[in-house]
Amino acid sequence: MAADLSSTANSILFDRSARTVWRIGFDRWIGRLLPLLFLVAIFPILSLVYYISEKAVPTLTWNVITSTSPYGDHLGVAIVGTFELYLFATSLAVLFGLFGGVAVAEFLPESAANWVRTSANLLVGTPSVILGYMGYITFCLYFGWGLTFEAGAVTMAFFMTPYIFRTADLAFTSVPAPIREAALGSGARPSQYILKVGAPIAFPQILTGIFLALAIGVGETAPIVLTTTASVLVPQNLHSPVTVLTALIWENYAQAPSTGLQTIAFQAAFLILVIVLVLNVVVRVISTIYRKRLEGLYQ
Amino acid sequence: MSGTGLDMGPVLSVRGVSVRARKVERPLLDQISIDFAPRSLTALVGPSGCGKSTFVRTLNRMVELTPGLRVGGQVLYLGQDIYARNVNPVLVRRRIGMVFQRPTVFPISIFENAAFGLRLVHESNEEIDRAVAQALQRSGLWEEVKDRLDEPALSLSGGQQQRLCIARALAVRPKVILLDEPTSALDPAATQRVESTMETLKEDFVLILVTHNVGQAARVADRVAFLHSGRLIEVGPTADILERPKEALTEQFITGRFT
Repeated sequence: MAADLSSTANSILFDRSARTVWRIGFDRWIGRLLPLLFLVAIFPILSLVYYISEKAVPTLTWNVITSTSPYGDHLGVAIVGTFELYLFATSLAVLFGLFGGVAVAEFLPESAANWVRTSANLLVGTPSVILGYMGYITFCLYFGWGLTFEAGAVTMAFFMTPYIFRTADLAFTSVPAPIREAALGSGARPSQYILKVGAPIAFPQILTGIFLALAIGVGETAPIVLTTTASVLVPQNLHSPVTVLTALIWENYAQAPSTGLQTIAFQAAFLILVIVLVLNVVVRVISTIYRKRLEGLYQ
Repeated sequence: MSGTGLDMGPVLSVRGVSVRARKVERPLLDQISIDFAPRSLTALVGPSGCGKSTFVRTLNRMVELTPGLRVGGQVLYLGQDIYARNVNPVLVRRRIGMVFQRPTVFPISIFENAAFGLRLVHESNEEIDRAVAQALQRSGLWEEVKDRLDEPALSLSGGQQQRLCIARALAVRPKVILLDEPTSALDPAATQRVESTMETLKEDFVLILVTHNVGQAARVADRVAFLHSGRLIEVGPTADILERPKEALTEQFITGRFT
């Protein structure tokens, strides 16, 4: 019996059949191929960053970025416009997305919740240019707001809402069921459970969702250029026109191709890259800190 | 509390309770009737899937958190049906506390975990301090945590977390505490500490313990109820059920012929 077992072990360990040899060889080559595939993926990104930086950085001075003069390159104007418009849009989107996510995760019956989830997924899949036209027709024309800061911000809020909604929904539904039951079983009303137990657990995930929605939104052009008109001034009030960085690319590169204006477009693109990179790093740092705090929670 | 007439009668009285799931022929619980007297520890034993967890969940309306389950019959708490239409389940759960299979501490400090139920009802701070200290003493955790009440509860060991969960249930001074396999995720030493906590608690509370472990029932329970396929097969004093069961099913379970 023992002899049989050891001979079986031998035949497995020292198997030299064609099939095994082929399998080991295949495994080795795939192992070498994967790093190459990584290069294939990283190459376009790096070359894009290099291409943009090469054209943008040499003439990009602190003065160019911070100047909000109507007679300058308008990069400073666009930065202020971007900051204000996305602050407004994100606030609205967080409001809609958070309430929607909590409602779907905690309050709506399952069938209704699934309808809302499907709608949100459809909204994410809608081309941003369609959303832009919807915003244009609804806010600029039907509501009569015109091509203004408010129309752009609200349209952008609608663009960002489903991303925040989905993470909020997921964050609350993935709170461990026993933790939820323990809170409710201690006599917490649903609202008390959400504020005292659910929110702290869901917080890092929701925060990640907000920043990712912002990072995606900052790079979107269509919803903004269709609902706002560019200005050489920083926004004065909600009814002002507003220039954002993506609009600067659209106006200067696609509409008015001359080398000087193109450089401004590259500088705007470079600034968007930097903003998106910073947002991603912030997301990583914050969610790591908060995840550490939740370590050891009921798994 | 002693001396009131209510002490004489059962605190909880279950009358013909059935639980059905939508589109399932066989009820999860079938016409269960049982009384729970003050200052007693009743162990519910039975094979996996016999409905013992579902049963304790009907006692504080936790069962309603599972969509698709319908409860029939009456559960009388001090004579009042908790399923009556004007009864708020939130208030029921503040009177009938619960401890779960695995420690369910919240990611907040040790103190705030124990104070959780009290904060919900907006007790004064002095009252909360007093009740938390008392609850932690009763759950046998006070000596281990009194100097580190502000530390995160997640830094405690599994057994300590479970005793913290018991303290959380105790702090609101319920009359009944439901324990759903509270030691199934704990090592033997921690299990032993939780069991001794249960033994002191039964002096003051109605404890209802779900356990798959007949040995645990023998160690701590005054009374054992045996459930099988959603039916209450028999109930009686621990020694009677474990040594002289009347029903064949009970005997088979206790002697380990099925689990």
